[in-house]
Amino acid sequence: MSNAIETRTLAYRASNAFAIRDLNLNVPSGSIYGFLGPNGSGKSTTIRLLLGLLRPDRGNIAVLGHGIPGDSPRMLAKTGYVPERPHVYPSLRIDETLRFHAAFYPTWDWAWADSLMASFGLDRGARVGRLSKGEVGKLMMLMALAQRPQLLVLDEPTDGLDPLVRRQVLTALMEYVAERQATVFISSHLVHELERFCTWVGILDDGLLVAEMPMESFKGGIKRLRVKRAPETIGDLPFVLLSREADAGLSSAEQWVVRGWQQPMQQYFAGVGSELAEVMDLDLEEGFVELLRTARTRRERE
Amino acid sequence: MFREVLRTQWKWSVWAVIVATIAGFALPVLTVQDAGLIDPDAVDVVNMMARVEIIGTFYPILALGAGVAMALLIWAPDHRGNHVYALSLPLPRWHYTLLRLAAGAVLLVPVVVMLWVGALVATAASTIPVGLHAYPTAIAIRFAFALLLGYAFFFALASGTIRTTAIVVGIVPVAIIVLSQLITLVGGPNVLDLAFRVADLPGPFRLLFEPWLLINV
Repeated sequence: MSNAIETRTLAYRASNAFAIRDLNLNVPSGSIYGFLGPNGSGKSTTIRLLLGLLRPDRGNIAVLGHGIPGDSPRMLAKTGYVPERPHVYPSLRIDETLRFHAAFYPTWDWAWADSLMASFGLDRGARVGRLSKGEVGKLMMLMALAQRPQLLVLDEPTDGLDPLVRRQVLTALMEYVAERQATVFISSHLVHELERFCTWVGILDDGLLVAEMPMESFKGGIKRLRVKRAPETIGDLPFVLLSREADAGLSSAEQWVVRGWQQPMQQYFAGVGSELAEVMDLDLEEGFVELLRTARTRRERE
Repeated sequence: MFREVLRTQWKWSVWAVIVATIAGFALPVLTVQDAGLIDPDAVDVVNMMARVEIIGTFYPILALGAGVAMALLIWAPDHRGNHVYALSLPLPRWHYTLLRLAAGAVLLVPVVVMLWVGALVATAASTIPVGLHAYPTAIAIRFAFALLLGYAFFFALASGTIRTTAIVVGIVPVAIIVLSQLITLVGGPNVLDLAFRVADLPGPFRLLFEPWLLINV
């Protein structure tokens, strides 16, 4: 499978306190890639680098086969972008905004734009600066979709929207993806929202890519284990140990959070004289928190 | 593409264009309002030429004012959005800048045309004393150049980020002050003299400082 987005050793220093470091992203074509990370982790900066809005200090970026930033206009013609903060001109009316936007995209689909406008309940005569947050969110999604893009880059597109609007926006997005097999790169800190429809997940923390994997492996492979008589020193493990801490309920037990877990691996515990008392599923948010915690602990040790 | 850029810029600058167009028409009319419309002998040549000179100082002011207003109004909406929208459009940056520059220049055309029409009407309706001549077309062409100069200069300044513009705008006076202090130290002219000398140097900006006379010998 080819990648719609690929970065190699991407580096960008935004300030003395923050930098994107050695970012190697692989977003498979046709995937819905959830780009997770806490606020301030560098998600929007990464997106701006991917779109050629910022110039990297080092590294390579390829989006839809185009080198970025050198070939960004041709890439942008095939990419729908919803920024974190609305970027359109507030003094224009909706119809003026759409006319202006459509002029730059040869693939713009007016029939679909009109249909989306009707289903979103947008008034074409309304001034953009006077729209509610939900209406602006719908307008942004409409503009990104009606240009019939191969790639959608969405930077926290539903942040601050009420559940009804969020559902409308995401439904329109999913319908388009189902119809066109477009690639979606969606950043968010709302983990539960991405859990429902993303096929891949990448986790960014403090400018570093902590993990990147198919959503299924992420959801299925992260477990919390209750281990009795846990060994003090750990040798070669068949899984990745993300964290270990004393069990609050049972003094002789520990709780381990592991990645890459499979059922046959329980034999490991018998081999080291321990007992695996319980295997608990973690939801995406818990897995996300554990991954971040492990990554931060590792960085502090280093 | 150009039509849409023009349309948005018209919306953002319509009042500036209207005011500048009215002012452009009014300036030549005001210049000759004392010129005898019926009786050539009634014309007070000295007073008329004084008025021509005084009103003449407003031509470069109008040209610069209209140019600055247009340049700032064009870029203000992009500045407000940190240029994210413009940069995310699928065209090279130079192309987008050129579209904005050209659209602004087109919107300034009515100002020049109305000044020319005003100059033609005013000079045709008044009696010019013997020995003097009216130069409506020449002053309109000169106004067009001055307007274009001011517009292009401030368009370039305003196209950068606010920080870049502030740096550029800040560097020029600082450089002048430092240079003049250095010159004064080695026994050269003072700051004011230097400023006058700079204004007197050959170059495009000289256009603004020469007398603007609709009626002359």
